[in-house]
Amino acid sequence: MNNLFKKLENKLSFLGRRELGILIMLIIEIVFFSIVTEFFLSIGNFRSILMTSVDLAIVSIGMTLVILMGGIDVSVGSVLGVVAIFISELLMAGFNPIIVVILALILGALLGGINGLLVGYGKVPPIIATLGTMNLWRAVIFGLLGGKWISGVPPVFSFLNKSFIGIPISLILIFALYFLFWVVTNKRKFGRKIYAIGNNQECARLAGIKVKRTLVYSYMTVGALTAIAAIAYIGRMGGVEITIGNDLPLQAIAAVIIGGTAATGGKGSVIGTLLGVFFINVMQNGILLLGIPSLWERAVIGILIIVSIGIDMMSNKKEKQSLEGELNAA
Amino acid sequence: MQLKSEAIDFKNIFSNRIFFLLGLNLLTLIIMTFLSPYFLSLESLLGMTQFGAVIALISLGESLVILGGEGGIDLSVGSVLSLSGVILGMLVSAGLNIWLACILTLIFGFIIGSINGFLISYIEMPAFVVTVGALYAYGALAMVLTGGIPISDFPDKFSFVGQGYIFQTPVQILFIVLPLYLILNWVMKNTDFGRKVYHIGVNNKAAGLSGIDTKKIRLLLYAISGTLAAIGAIVMSSWLMAARPDAGYGYELQAITVSVLGGISIMGGEGSLTGTMLSALIITMIAYGLQLANINTIWQLAVLGLLLLFAVLANKFFDIN
Repeated sequence: MNNLFKKLENKLSFLGRRELGILIMLIIEIVFFSIVTEFFLSIGNFRSILMTSVDLAIVSIGMTLVILMGGIDVSVGSVLGVVAIFISELLMAGFNPIIVVILALILGALLGGINGLLVGYGKVPPIIATLGTMNLWRAVIFGLLGGKWISGVPPVFSFLNKSFIGIPISLILIFALYFLFWVVTNKRKFGRKIYAIGNNQECARLAGIKVKRTLVYSYMTVGALTAIAAIAYIGRMGGVEITIGNDLPLQAIAAVIIGGTAATGGKGSVIGTLLGVFFINVMQNGILLLGIPSLWERAVIGILIIVSIGIDMMSNKKEKQSLEGELNAA
Repeated sequence: MQLKSEAIDFKNIFSNRIFFLLGLNLLTLIIMTFLSPYFLSLESLLGMTQFGAVIALISLGESLVILGGEGGIDLSVGSVLSLSGVILGMLVSAGLNIWLACILTLIFGFIIGSINGFLISYIEMPAFVVTVGALYAYGALAMVLTGGIPISDFPDKFSFVGQGYIFQTPVQILFIVLPLYLILNWVMKNTDFGRKVYHIGVNNKAAGLSGIDTKKIRLLLYAISGTLAAIGAIVMSSWLMAARPDAGYGYELQAITVSVLGGISIMGGEGSLTGTMLSALIITMIAYGLQLANINTIWQLAVLGLLLLFAVLANKFFDIN
């Protein structure tokens, strides 16, 4: 068994140990739901799982970056809402879609940049900074919507729901973005800075990394990614709900943590996060198919976050102990 | 010798923060008087304090957790309040004596808080992630247990706690909030436990080396926070005569804002519960005043969010003293 695991690990070396763990969990989950529910195992169902996972998948990339740096961003849901309203208004006013995309990205980066300034230059703990902006933007969303939904947005982004040679375009978008950020975090300097800051901010600073600036850029990246998610949201929904993005921070944090990124920062990857996103979406779908009230969903995700950190902490301790043991033996 | 000078220094900051908060209270009072003609009267102001009872209770717990340092924060307070209220309601519905149910609810709050504390303190999980998870988990559990419908089987006599008045002052302020504040404030200033909390808040490692059981103290802080949330749940259930599964929604933001505005350093180890109480009064006035002035409560979120950011930055840069 151990041997088999080792072989598998070698074959899938790009995955790493944590990612392999979550992949196995995902497979177990899929097998489980295939057995206990009737309609789970079908291409149509998988397609619908993928469709609904776009916003979460994209936002979770950003969440991975900030959690890797030892931070967090609970304002992503509110930022998504503000940008989505902005996009809707522009589209309804007849702006060119390309200009709308550019403006949306700028707005997203700006809103993220505010978090970044607070965290980087204001030295405000990320949870406090983003809790503040989360509620601020939430109030702005309510103010702008005035208690009504936005509907009837011109369907210029609905092509994201269609397929290209049989593959959903939104899925292509997800994989393209994840590949991009896998390269950024693994092969580029920016990525190494993020890991360095997550491991030890003081050491990173002493090593000559401009910590404050990197923090601002990272939170801006989160904002820009959230703006892309907002575009996908508009493409899928054709409007804006009042509750837009309410559960997004929870789900994104859960995806990142379940995906094996250490809650204390410095360890993890976007690949794990993608698997985490699928894990959550499959679970949501399974809960729905089992006929369990969707109120349970939040409870399960909340508990999963805590359990995942627990497992992570335990395995870290073990790793540390075995490392120490090896050192002692040597 | 050094200890003495530190003590004086601390007192100095303390007194000035109090001065600052009193000024801010006055300013809020003036603004709210302009916003609503009904605001400024003794009856209105005393009656207003009932809106602040739960905020004050939860904020006291939040302040203690933040004082304990090491990134201590409790985002689950609102959900613990909701869930405790639901437990209280279910116990009463099951035919249990109301006062016995209250005691069991307190124990429940203590246990829930201890679980948070155990995970954060002994397993060494980051507080903000654990309590975000707990925020959603407990909040959702409260919803699941009730199916989203408030429980309102409380006996009439129970309403005294949250709706009674003595000398025009709400009972929950006179007999619950003020005594608890006085006790906790005394504990923090005069007992070994209080000194240890400040100690672990300032420098956890040093505190550990000097023989303090830092883990136990930190766990206790979260347990106290959970218990205070349960007390808040009892007060709120009596006030509304119903246990609403969303009763604590948004309280984490209020509690953190109150604590930070009250001068509790977000890094831990600095601040006082008196500041927290004065700051709770400010937040209560704002909430009550906006309501009287018929301004949509959603703007309260914006005010709170801005106030939180302002307070953290002000604490950092202006070093109010």
